[in-house]
Amino acid sequence: MSGALVILFTSALTFFFVNLAPGGPASISNMQATPEQRAVLIKAMGLDRPVGERYATWLGGAVRGDLGTSLNTDQPVGVLVAERLPNTLTLAGAALLLACLLGLPMGIFQALRRDTWMDHVLSLASAIGLAVPVFWLGIVLILIFAVSLHVLPSAGIASVADGSFGDRLAHLVLPTVALTTTILPTVVRFMRSSLIDVLGTEYMRTATAKGLSLRVVLGRHGLPNALIPVVSAVGALVPRLLGGTVVTEAVFGWPGMGRLALDAANGRDYPLVTGLVVVIAAIAVATSMIVDLLYVRLDPRIRLA
Amino acid sequence: MSFGRAFSRLTAALALTVVVLASACTSSGTPSASSSQAAAVPVSGGTVTIPIVADPTLNPWSPNAFVESVFVNRVLFDGLTKPGKDLAPAADLATSWETSADGLSWTFHLREGVKWSDGHAFSADDVAFTFNDVVLKKELAANSAGNFSAVKTVVVVDPKTARFDLSRPFAALPSYLAYNAGLLPKHVLAADPLKTTSFNKGIPVSTGPFKVEKYTAGQNVTLVRNDNYFGPKAYLDRVVFSVVPDPNTQIAQALSGDIGIMLLDDKAAVDRVKSASNLVVAARPLVQYYWLALNQVDARFTDTKVRQAIEYAIDRKAIINAVERGYGSIANSAISPALKAFYDPSLESRYPYDAAKAKALLAEAGWIAGPDGVVVKDGKPFRFTMDVGQKGPLEPVNALIQQDLKKVGIVADLNTMEWNSYIQKVVVRRDYTATVNWWIYPSDPDVFPYYHSSTAGAGFNIPGFKDAKLDEILVRGQSTSDLEKRKGVYKELQTYMADNLPYLFLWYPQEIDVLSSSLHGVPDLGLRDGMHYIGEWFLAKK
Repeated sequence: MSGALVILFTSALTFFFVNLAPGGPASISNMQATPEQRAVLIKAMGLDRPVGERYATWLGGAVRGDLGTSLNTDQPVGVLVAERLPNTLTLAGAALLLACLLGLPMGIFQALRRDTWMDHVLSLASAIGLAVPVFWLGIVLILIFAVSLHVLPSAGIASVADGSFGDRLAHLVLPTVALTTTILPTVVRFMRSSLIDVLGTEYMRTATAKGLSLRVVLGRHGLPNALIPVVSAVGALVPRLLGGTVVTEAVFGWPGMGRLALDAANGRDYPLVTGLVVVIAAIAVATSMIVDLLYVRLDPRIRLA
Repeated sequence: MSFGRAFSRLTAALALTVVVLASACTSSGTPSASSSQAAAVPVSGGTVTIPIVADPTLNPWSPNAFVESVFVNRVLFDGLTKPGKDLAPAADLATSWETSADGLSWTFHLREGVKWSDGHAFSADDVAFTFNDVVLKKELAANSAGNFSAVKTVVVVDPKTARFDLSRPFAALPSYLAYNAGLLPKHVLAADPLKTTSFNKGIPVSTGPFKVEKYTAGQNVTLVRNDNYFGPKAYLDRVVFSVVPDPNTQIAQALSGDIGIMLLDDKAAVDRVKSASNLVVAARPLVQYYWLALNQVDARFTDTKVRQAIEYAIDRKAIINAVERGYGSIANSAISPALKAFYDPSLESRYPYDAAKAKALLAEAGWIAGPDGVVVKDGKPFRFTMDVGQKGPLEPVNALIQQDLKKVGIVADLNTMEWNSYIQKVVVRRDYTATVNWWIYPSDPDVFPYYHSSTAGAGFNIPGFKDAKLDEILVRGQSTSDLEKRKGVYKELQTYMADNLPYLFLWYPQEIDVLSSSLHGVPDLGLRDGMHYIGEWFLAKK
């Protein structure tokens, strides 16, 4: 219920803000359009009607599953989003997976080697990782692995002639690596600090004092408790990850929602921008629900009635 | 939204650094000259990939057919004429044409035996449909319909003859028909000419040397040889238009050998590309010029001496060297040197960079330098705002102009905006004092839409300059179809423009094309025009 309210609120906010932004749809905000053409197009797109009325019309369609028609492509917004959504989810999912596979062990390692030189080096690396802009890293990765070494494709989601699973996987590597850097340092830090907190608790000291091995202490008591806040942190990273896809998809020519959103915003495609934001908001809401469910599994103190 | 622009600027700056660094690890061959392109013997086969920045709309008249669509549409949709290799109109779906004695109609004789890609016969009905039912239908707001405002109607004389009836003489019609004016199939689009998605974003029916094989949204549009094409069979098997939005990624793809030919927007990267052994760089002529518009609503700019002073004050050679890496020439009129038959080279030295001369002219106009160096008239300092759109080289250009103006005592404040907002403010609302931008126009000296007083205020006459003599020359040019007489009229036009500066002309840019060293047969034209000759392109065996 609250999720639905979040989505409704987001859609209204987006619709009004994007309509209030100066400029207009690409066919109108075009050097080559004559005043007569602009007048015709504004009327045809219904942009001569008040924003509130247009939002009401949009919302009326949206609740029935019709997100409207894109102003710059004349295609249904639903169709455009459906084409791109799986690609963005693939990229974001791969990046999330990679961030967890690398980040959790790194965080554990740093927590156990707390305040050693290795911990400091990895913390510094995390700080640098957070500071490197994705678009710059993206171009560097392309220049090294596609231009110089010729081991990976430079852009796109698949080769025109190939398109096999292996080909698609090869195309996924560089954008995933670039996108992973936007969240990896945060995953590492959360894992590290969370485990350090747990290591300082009395039950951990008790377990160690009983003479249990480090592996057992960590596996049975430490990690299950340390992972709980990390799960919610990773869940909270999903919106940031989707934000990161905007830049990553543009650099790597990845046909996802992020790139679509960038084009839609530059071209003031009001229904498309709103539709995309609504879908992204729905993903964020769904993620937080999944995190809540995971909590139940991880934390024995929470039990659903 | 401005984030996108800022991001792409940053990317460009940073990527250049990286590109230079990367040159250490890639093999650097000797720069190849474009002349090496001529030698090879044509062979059939192969695929050429061309990057475009977004999904194209495969319909030349759709209001949503932007620059990315132009490249594809020029391959698919033939016009009655096409730009010749000298840019004069050449035969395409029409083989000959003539005008009536009063200049109020043009008759086009159509090519025999032309078929659409679906096998249907092409006829004058398709010409009449494209113009009467699409271009001239005001309620469709067809793209570049404004170019044909002189056309009243198209009459089908017989299946192989179409006559354009005009409301006023329009000598440039054959040239304008070569400019994004591809013909549409009546038998497919009669129901909905501009919004049929299966056509615009799918597999359209067309007449060109290639036809669409597959449209994959967000990824690419694949073209295959059209076996119904009327002309010689194309050498290439396939042409792939690959959607690569980031210009730096496009360059990286060219370096890694993934691209057959591309237009290099960012000339800062030209040296890096030149040093790649697998690529060839070619500078092409363009029908384009950059200008500074001074809004004639502002009384200060209605004084010709003031406009001339500003033209003298701007070091345009320095601008060309800085932002175009030297690929361009100084402009003193609207007629580009690419239009060889009409261009008047004697005007090139009309306004050499001369700050002293600029100050003298300002003084003659009553603008006298005050104690702080800023010129003053009637107690008011010469100060105004220049609106700057974030696109191409406009930001550095405005910064350079700002510095030049300061040297002659004029203060220009820069107001930089995201492109879409800029168009809305400056072009749509005309709410500006001074601004730099450019025009690309059909390959003809008829620049009526950008200069005639009837287009001031809301049309393409951005400065709102109104001058009876200028109007008279423009109309005379439209009524003169004899080539030698036209040359005379447009020489007069260039001189008049240079003297009076309706816009302040800045420079004519050249286009930089990057080609794979194995690609041959590409004519020495801007890439948009070169697309009309794609049937002649071929890949040499390595």
